[in-house]
Amino acid sequence: MALLEIRHLSKFFGGLAANADVSFSVERGTIVGLVGPNGAGKTTLFDCVTGFHRPDRGEVRFRGIRINGLSPARVCRLGLARTWQKVRPLARLSVLDNVVVGALTRTRRVEAARDLAREELRVVGLSDRAGVAAGTLPVGERKKLELARALATGPELLLVDEVLGGLNPTESEEVVEVLLALRASGLTLLVIEHDMRAIMRISDRVVVLDSGEKLAEGTPAEVVEDREVVAAYLGEP
Amino acid sequence: MILFLQSLLSGVLMGGVYALVGIGLTLVFGVMRIVNFAHGELVMLGMYLAWFLFTRLGWDPYLSLVVVAPALFLWGALLQAAVVGRALHALPENQMLLTIGLGLAMSNAAMLAFTADYRILTTSYSSSGLQVLGLSVSEPMLAAFLVAVGVTAGLYLFLLRTDTGRAIRATAQDREAAQLMGIDVRRMSLVAFGLGAALAGTAGALVSPTYYIYPQVGGAFTLKAFVIVVLGGMGSVVGATLGGLLVGVTESLAAVYVASDLKELVVYSLFLLVLVARPSGLLGKARA
Amino acid sequence: MLAPPPLPASASAPRAGARAAGTWLAAAAVALLALFPVLVARPYPLHMGVVLFLAVLEAAAWNLVGGIAGQYSVGHAVYFGAGAYAAVMLLERLGIAPWWGIWAAALCAVLLGLVVGTITLRLRGPYFVLASIAAAEVARLAVLHFRAFTHGAQGFVVAEPPVLRLPGLSLTFDGKRPFYYLTLALAVLAVAVNRAVLRSRLGYQLLAVREDQDAAHSLGIRLSLVKNQALAISAALTGVAGAVFAGYSRFIDPDTVFSLTDVSVPMVLYCLAGGAGTVEGPVVGALLLVPVSEALRNPRGLVSLGLLPAGSGVVGFVERHLSQAHQLVYGLLLVLIVLFAPEGVAGLLRRLLRRSRARPRPAPPPA
Repeated sequence: MALLEIRHLSKFFGGLAANADVSFSVERGTIVGLVGPNGAGKTTLFDCVTGFHRPDRGEVRFRGIRINGLSPARVCRLGLARTWQKVRPLARLSVLDNVVVGALTRTRRVEAARDLAREELRVVGLSDRAGVAAGTLPVGERKKLELARALATGPELLLVDEVLGGLNPTESEEVVEVLLALRASGLTLLVIEHDMRAIMRISDRVVVLDSGEKLAEGTPAEVVEDREVVAAYLGEP
Repeated sequence: MILFLQSLLSGVLMGGVYALVGIGLTLVFGVMRIVNFAHGELVMLGMYLAWFLFTRLGWDPYLSLVVVAPALFLWGALLQAAVVGRALHALPENQMLLTIGLGLAMSNAAMLAFTADYRILTTSYSSSGLQVLGLSVSEPMLAAFLVAVGVTAGLYLFLLRTDTGRAIRATAQDREAAQLMGIDVRRMSLVAFGLGAALAGTAGALVSPTYYIYPQVGGAFTLKAFVIVVLGGMGSVVGATLGGLLVGVTESLAAVYVASDLKELVVYSLFLLVLVARPSGLLGKARA
Repeated sequence: MLAPPPLPASASAPRAGARAAGTWLAAAAVALLALFPVLVARPYPLHMGVVLFLAVLEAAAWNLVGGIAGQYSVGHAVYFGAGAYAAVMLLERLGIAPWWGIWAAALCAVLLGLVVGTITLRLRGPYFVLASIAAAEVARLAVLHFRAFTHGAQGFVVAEPPVLRLPGLSLTFDGKRPFYYLTLALAVLAVAVNRAVLRSRLGYQLLAVREDQDAAHSLGIRLSLVKNQALAISAALTGVAGAVFAGYSRFIDPDTVFSLTDVSVPMVLYCLAGGAGTVEGPVVGALLLVPVSEALRNPRGLVSLGLLPAGSGVVGFVERHLSQAHQLVYGLLLVLIVLFAPEGVAGLLRRLLRRSRARPRPAPPPA
């Protein structure tokens, strides 16, 4: 049984199908890349999986449990965490406190949560920024903070939404290393990305969405060769 | 049955005036995304101004509209330029508190100027009635309703046919896009706030022959204006029109069938119930 | 470089040393305040004390919901009034002494908070503010209407509280001194509750809700539960304030205790003026604004405090023209605070401290 199973998921807004009959699975311990042009429905899919939208059709199963229709808080406590495409730091709290908020979903004790938080900051490389107000961070550090905070909730599956957007090559590399290290430690990841080189490098499998539908699925090499994928991204040859 | 029709009719008449208040508020929200908690005080100012012109100069309130509306328009534009416009970058919650503060300042300034005594504006026709289709109708309320309808129609024309009106609608739909197309959004905000104030003041002048006028009278108007706007959907002029009628009718029926001093409570309670079911109002976008 | 940050109000902001110093300072201040009635027996200063401590209690109560959780209720008078009426009606109709009445008031307010919270806390932004105002209005109108039960607009004249007999001592609640100590204790309690909440798991979660509700939701925080918890505590404290107010002023009516402008707004204003979301904010705000409001409402008090000569023209002027002006002042202050000091006095001070600390350092060498 795959860790995450998405079956025939559809979501409509008015007459528009943001997601149309999308199905795929994410196996435990792997990184699955989710790619597609802007407007393909990738973030909407995340919203449906994490409880911010209710799918109109289809279902989502996590560890075999049906999670579509559950509240985002419940989904998180079941072990599924996410980051946001437009980062959402808790601006007036310190970097450490941001992560503590996440950790407090895992433990009830504030001291224990602070220890967990410090550990996650170490993982993403933000330890020396712990006391800084999150609202003052530059974009690269905000993205790392977002990761650390989601990790602090102790997920089995992490949904990462365009974490590399707006990062310079050094920062990009750092974050990619973090993602790889997370997989090595046993975490499963579903990653939305536009940076194709990164996706090729880290993904075990890739799913391609376009205009709400799943266009292709397979290993990175397979997907890159797929004619429809090439057409969608680059136009007809 | 007659009683029902009677109260329905007076509800509609009052609703026409409420609609003016609601439209003013929703315009401000639509264009500036600011929730103006001082809106009722603008109605109050309209009432006092009409009363002042009546007692000092003998002007009939329906005629003094010619002065009241522009005066309130200028006052609204001034408030926007001097105070509200400076708070555009504040937290929305703080913006609300700012307008609450403005409302407090205005109602208490009125108290200092006019004392808390109830004022009444008694015209020759204040208590006369007409017979319409077998139902008796208060003459001033009918006049108020007809003027309100006229003003609303004029407003619709303004919004639909004139350049400024279209610019306002554009700004309300998408502030950034409007800016990119060369619309001076700050000027639009001035116009919108001024218009909102003018509509509120007009409503105040229209009901001045039939209401007790005192500094705190604005509070109930603010709350009702909000009920109207929320019911109709924030930013929707059509919604505010319908909402005004709905609130007027509800209040009127409640006064007759529940208890006269509970009519507002009924409106507010229904409002809370609507919010429970549809947190963005009856015509607003439903949340997931 | 980014603009100067909004100031972090997070629980970890003050370092341990600074925090301990702050606690000692606060304890010393409380001790001094407790000694005050022993040294000064005149009623007016004690009355000022009661008014001040009640203001701190109310502002601190609001702080939990408004400052920490970020839900700006402008209808907290509903809990104040509910507490006042609960305590008074239990006393007048069932002869239940205020010592129990206060607990009943708190319970009543909490239950009301659960009802109002369920309706209003799922609303965002202006809808929530509006619904909170509507709830208080509904309560006021209802109490006005059901005259047989509540005496309507006439209100209740409250009898003198009976003697409190505890093992070893009996306390009579005549004069201002007992109320002084009672309200001081409650104010300290409310501030302590704020401090405790800010350091607790609940506090972190409330701050997260304040900063970004959806992010908080995605991190596993149950929005409804957490907000209602804050509201319950806040309502209880506010209800107690209402009950104590009733016992102290010996008269309540719906327009006084359910008042938007005299109860709900000042609670918000004091907290905001001092610095919403901090422990010291409600205290600072009340300290700054209560004297102003009292001076406007009761300028003779200034004479009795020796701050103005007897027969001073100022007294006459204020009484004739400015006796209701405290509300005008509230309004203007709200405007000024939002425009120029949204983080309150505490925030202003912190900003000034930062700037003075930053100045002596030389500019860093270019990268």
